[in-house]
Amino acid sequence: METFALLLQGMATSFELLNLGLLIFGCLIGLFVGAMPGLGSVNGVAILIPITFIVPPTAAIIFLAAVYYGAMYGGAISSVMLGIPGASTAVATVFDGRPLAVKGEAMTALTAAAVGSFVGGTVSVILFTLFAPPLAEVALRFNAPETFALMVMAFATFVGLGGDDIPKTIFSILIGLVLSTIGLDLITGKPRLIFFGIPGFLHGINFLVLAIGIYGIGEMLWTLEETKGKVQMSKLSVNMKEVGRAFSALKKTIMAMNIGSFLGFFVGILPAAGATPASLMSYGITKQLSRNSKEFGSGVPAGVVAPECANNSASTGSMLPMLTLGIPGSPTTAILLGGMILWGLTPGPLLFTQQPEFVWGLIGSLYIANFFTLVLNIALIPAFLMVLRIPFAILAPVIFVLCVTGGYAPTQSLHDVWLMLLFGFGGYMLRKLDYPVAPAVLSIVLGPLAEKAMRQSLILSDGSMGIFFDFSSKPIAAVIMYIAIVLLIMPAFGPIYRKFFKKA
Amino acid sequence: MSIVTKFTVRRAEITVAVVLALCSLALMYKSAQNRITWSAEENMGAGFLPFYLSLGMFICTVITITKFILKKSPQSTNNEPFIDAVAFKFVSVTIISLVVLVFAIGYLGIYFSLIFFLAFYLRYFSEKSNSFILNFSITTPILTFLFFEWLLKIPLPQGISEPLFYPVYDVMYGSSSLFMIWIYIIVTVLSPSALVFLANRFIK
Amino acid sequence: MLIIILNLIGGNNMTIIKKLALVVVSLSLVAVSSISSAKPFSPKKPIELIIPAGQGGGADEIARLVQGVIEKNDYASKPVIPINKKGGSGGEAMTYVKKKAGDEHTLIITLNNVLTTPVNQPELGIDFFNDFTPLARLITDTFLVWIATEGKNTQGVETFDDFIALARGNGLVMGGTGSMSEDELLLGMMRGQFGFDAKYVPYDGGGAVAKGLVGGESDFTLNNPSEQMGFYQSGDSKALVMMTPERNPAFPDVPSSYELGYPDLEYYMMRAFMAPAGVDAEVEKYYTGLLHTVYHDDEFQTFNIDDGKLMSWLEGYGFKRIS
Repeated sequence: METFALLLQGMATSFELLNLGLLIFGCLIGLFVGAMPGLGSVNGVAILIPITFIVPPTAAIIFLAAVYYGAMYGGAISSVMLGIPGASTAVATVFDGRPLAVKGEAMTALTAAAVGSFVGGTVSVILFTLFAPPLAEVALRFNAPETFALMVMAFATFVGLGGDDIPKTIFSILIGLVLSTIGLDLITGKPRLIFFGIPGFLHGINFLVLAIGIYGIGEMLWTLEETKGKVQMSKLSVNMKEVGRAFSALKKTIMAMNIGSFLGFFVGILPAAGATPASLMSYGITKQLSRNSKEFGSGVPAGVVAPECANNSASTGSMLPMLTLGIPGSPTTAILLGGMILWGLTPGPLLFTQQPEFVWGLIGSLYIANFFTLVLNIALIPAFLMVLRIPFAILAPVIFVLCVTGGYAPTQSLHDVWLMLLFGFGGYMLRKLDYPVAPAVLSIVLGPLAEKAMRQSLILSDGSMGIFFDFSSKPIAAVIMYIAIVLLIMPAFGPIYRKFFKKA
Repeated sequence: MSIVTKFTVRRAEITVAVVLALCSLALMYKSAQNRITWSAEENMGAGFLPFYLSLGMFICTVITITKFILKKSPQSTNNEPFIDAVAFKFVSVTIISLVVLVFAIGYLGIYFSLIFFLAFYLRYFSEKSNSFILNFSITTPILTFLFFEWLLKIPLPQGISEPLFYPVYDVMYGSSSLFMIWIYIIVTVLSPSALVFLANRFIK
Repeated sequence: MLIIILNLIGGNNMTIIKKLALVVVSLSLVAVSSISSAKPFSPKKPIELIIPAGQGGGADEIARLVQGVIEKNDYASKPVIPINKKGGSGGEAMTYVKKKAGDEHTLIITLNNVLTTPVNQPELGIDFFNDFTPLARLITDTFLVWIATEGKNTQGVETFDDFIALARGNGLVMGGTGSMSEDELLLGMMRGQFGFDAKYVPYDGGGAVAKGLVGGESDFTLNNPSEQMGFYQSGDSKALVMMTPERNPAFPDVPSSYELGYPDLEYYMMRAFMAPAGVDAEVEKYYTGLLHTVYHDDEFQTFNIDDGKLMSWLEGYGFKRIS
């Protein structure tokens, strides 16, 4: 129970005047930064580094935790309101959040996102407090073969996401994977697919460039064509009835919350994975297990809750490998890690015993930040909804400005802005011809992780695929791999099952 | 606009499929510049995965083309125009103005390019008054500047306009309290004006 | 409520436009006056510090430390903004800085990949000796040979000589930071010198390499001191030899390669700063001075010494010859 005392102490520290002020300020910055397409918690946390030298480290941690959490919430706002994922962790939120907003139920979508995030954050803090040390051991044993198995499982959960045209769906998956191989090949150290020798390809294709291109530029072109620039983006009404409806819709999403919270946390603690695969897998699994899985993608609250719950849960979870193993799961945690080192803390197994105040202060303030972000978010929903009232002719150029700055900011290269335009235009053309675009976005997120893990494993096993299926030496990898195969096969057997048994 | 109406979904389908097939072949060629072999003795070459994945892409496009020829896909029998003439105008103006914008960012810098882009785009698509358009086109880049360069410290490209920003930086990072005065002026004068316009003009 | 207040402030559109025009005009007047009065160099805009690696690596750590020290003590009149360009083992960052020839607000922190990448990727056309203006080297870092304390294939290994004996013909697995990187070159060197062979598994980043070792995926690694510090302190990993002539105070129980009689096993990686080619002597002087101030900052010194790094100031072209 000592940890609980420390955790409570950490939370109490958050309520000191300076800390509370920083906390609320941090939540707001996080929300804002998270909602900007292309910018994520990494940008918010980067501006913190100088501040850590001015205020005491505890206040700095609280501030950073607030920015981190705020950004996790903020990503959902632009996913729902603009249809552009604010951050990679909010991609899956677009799938159902955007259709909800278009149907005029943006209120439901935003409430679902906020409450889902809060639940995910709460569950993960509890899990973290109870099981951190044993889970650190799991994270340590989770190596390349296990990571690859997990990636296969992530792909498997998305079998049903494509369109009806199977060759076009497969094409979409493959082009995402090929795009993800552009850049330097880690294993051989050689540059690959550097078209025309342009140095901009050396850093590969940033996932955000594809997502902003397809969901930002592409979606705008699509809307322009449909509405000819005359119609408002969506209808909307804010009144008490609407608020009540939003909350009652959440009752049906309890399963999504459970899946999102637990899956998100466990995927989050794995060093290689992090919040993005967690939210994607959570969406996929919730969809597969749901009774009305056909409706996913056309705007169901559970489709918003599942990824939002998972990404918040995972963002707490991903603190674990950072603290105990010194491995950043994301650019944000990398900067946090740098900050920790500058504060004179050495990440490693001893951190929990030598610096408990730091660890529990961080987790405690994450939780307080979680709570305040929920309050702020619910309070600000009417302000967010105002975006929907702006006429399309005004909103469209603003969104283009957001896309251009968002495409430029992560890598600071104009090359990526050009690519983004290209993907936007290409994605729009392909979408008109029934090529599903979501699988390409998923593959570009998961592709690099999967490729690296697979090739590392194959070096270890001298090229034998058996390493992924061997229960005796790699039990975790084998179990995940077989689950993945079952998941892959299940949808294929569904129609066959129905065909044979329903007719008889 | 007759070209636009003659470009049917059917034609678009086959054109896109052939272009994608050619792209797949180009990717295979490009991948093959790295080693594409893999055996027990030798680790997987850098080009192995992209090569075979591109081959998969090529096969998918071949299936799509075959389905087209056999008229098995819905697009292959659809003789409606791919895009109607009015929408084509909107979409193409948007794409061209975006391309010009990104070109201009490289030379003029983002802030001045945005003024021209916004002014043009609003003039073309909205029916707002000139004074509104002017105000909006100037306020947006200023807010962008404050948000990116001041709050987040992310430099955006400034092209040839860079020297114009030196005094702004001096003010922003100068130790004098002048900095706060400037920020005060900008924030109090400009962003409310933008918000007022949002409030007054669009929300009925 | 807010909207009503805003309405009161901004009631008349024309006044807003006039105020705006006033701001723009006065800003441009300041511009003209400040350009004419520039004599000794001082930065006119935020300084971009290009990091040819991803977030969280050794170079990133030092770059952000330097940024922090400068900002905390107001050593520079404009902020330093770290920008990661990790593409192509630093190739992207170097191409970027090469194109910025003459730019007075760009710096690059170098790893040894400024030496290896131009050789491995000749198509980039980077000429290390002509495309950059070297400012100063602040720190050198070295490598240690690490094994896991409970490594299943390295049981009973106590000294570096035990390790060499074991490694001959046992096909151990070494974790590293990517092919063609320094640790693979060093492995090649050790293969030649000691006649052992090892499988090389690349990870991304020193942290992942360290975790792979303790997690039992690899049998040994070559890591920087700071990358294994956490596991070293907790006793999960141990170092067999440090590739320097002398012992390091941060690792008192680890013998140096000279002590063990392998003076060939000496290796440094530098953390230095460079500006693009073609900057004025005044600019060069300014940044070298800035770095010198940072170097002598107490906090900077303490942090690096505790982290097992070697403080080794070397100015201008000197550091090019050493490495």
